[in-house]
Amino acid sequence: MWTWFYRLASPPFVYRVAARLTPWLLLFAAAMIVYGLIAGLVFAPPDYQQGDAFRIIYVHAPSAWLSLFAYMTMAVAGGIALIWRIKMGYAVAAAAAPIGASFTILALVTGSLWGKPMWGTYWAWDPRLTSELILLFLYFGVMSLRAAFEDAGRGDRAAALLALVGVVNVPIIHFSVQWWNSLHQGATVAKFAKPDMPGSMLWPLLAMLCGFMLFFGAVLCMRLRGEVLNRERLASWVRGAVKA
Amino acid sequence: MGSRGGEGVTSGGFWAMGGYARYVWPCFALAISILAWNLWSARRYHEQALLRAERALIMAGSERA
Repeated sequence: MWTWFYRLASPPFVYRVAARLTPWLLLFAAAMIVYGLIAGLVFAPPDYQQGDAFRIIYVHAPSAWLSLFAYMTMAVAGGIALIWRIKMGYAVAAAAAPIGASFTILALVTGSLWGKPMWGTYWAWDPRLTSELILLFLYFGVMSLRAAFEDAGRGDRAAALLALVGVVNVPIIHFSVQWWNSLHQGATVAKFAKPDMPGSMLWPLLAMLCGFMLFFGAVLCMRLRGEVLNRERLASWVRGAVKA
Repeated sequence: MGSRGGEGVTSGGFWAMGGYARYVWPCFALAISILAWNLWSARRYHEQALLRAERALIMAGSERA
C-alpha cells in the first residue's frame, strides 16, 4: 500500500495515471449529469412549497458541496506537501484552486437566484451566504498568493499555508445553519438515514452530486497534467511526454 | 415518476417552470457554462504547458549543441 502511496509522489507516474483516468471520469460524469438533469428537470415532481423553483437545488447543492470538497482537496494536498515535502501536493493544490473557485461562484450565483423568489432578496448577510463568500475570497487569496512570488517554491508554500489556515471556514460553512439563525434551509440530504426528500427528488440530486465529483476529478487530472509539465519542464521524462 | 412525468418537455408549462423560469433556467445555463469553461480552460492549460515544455527542451538542446 505504501509503495503505491509513494509512487504518487513521482511526477511521470502522476502524469500517466491522470491521462488514463481523465476519459473514464469524464464519461461517467457526463452520464451522471445527463441523468440528473433529465430526472431533475423532467421527472421530479414540483415541491409542495417552492414549486418548480426547488429544481435549482440540482445545480446549487452539488456546486456548494464541490466548493467545499475542492477546498479540502487543496488544503490536504498543500498540507501533505508541507509536511512530507512531496512536491506533487503543491501541484494538486494549484490545480484544484481555480476549479473550486469556479464552483463557489456557481454556488453563490445559483443560491442568489434561488433566494430571490424564496426569501424576497438576492442577497442577505446570512451566516451560510457570508461564509461561502469568504470561501471564494480564500480561493482568490490562495491563487493570488501563489502567483505573487517570483520564487515558485515560496509561492507554493505560502499558498499551502493560507489554504490550511482557511480550513477553519469549512466547518463554519457546514454548521452555520445549526449554530446561528439562518435564512438558509438546514440539511436535507446529509441525513442519510432519513432524508427530507422523496426518492424521485433525491436520486437526481445524488446523481448530480456524483456527476459533479467525477467531473471535478476529470478536470483536476487535466489541470494536474499541465501543472506537472510546468514544474518538470526540463526533466528527461518530459521529452517522451511531449513527443506522445 | 413525478407529476411532471406526463407533461413532456415540448409543453409551455415545462419551459415556464411554474412561473419561476427566469430563476431556474439561468441557473442551469450558468452551470453548463461553468462546466464547459472548466473543460476548456483545463485543456488549454495542458496544451500551453506542453508547448512551453517543448520550447524549453528545444532551448536546452540548442544550448548543449
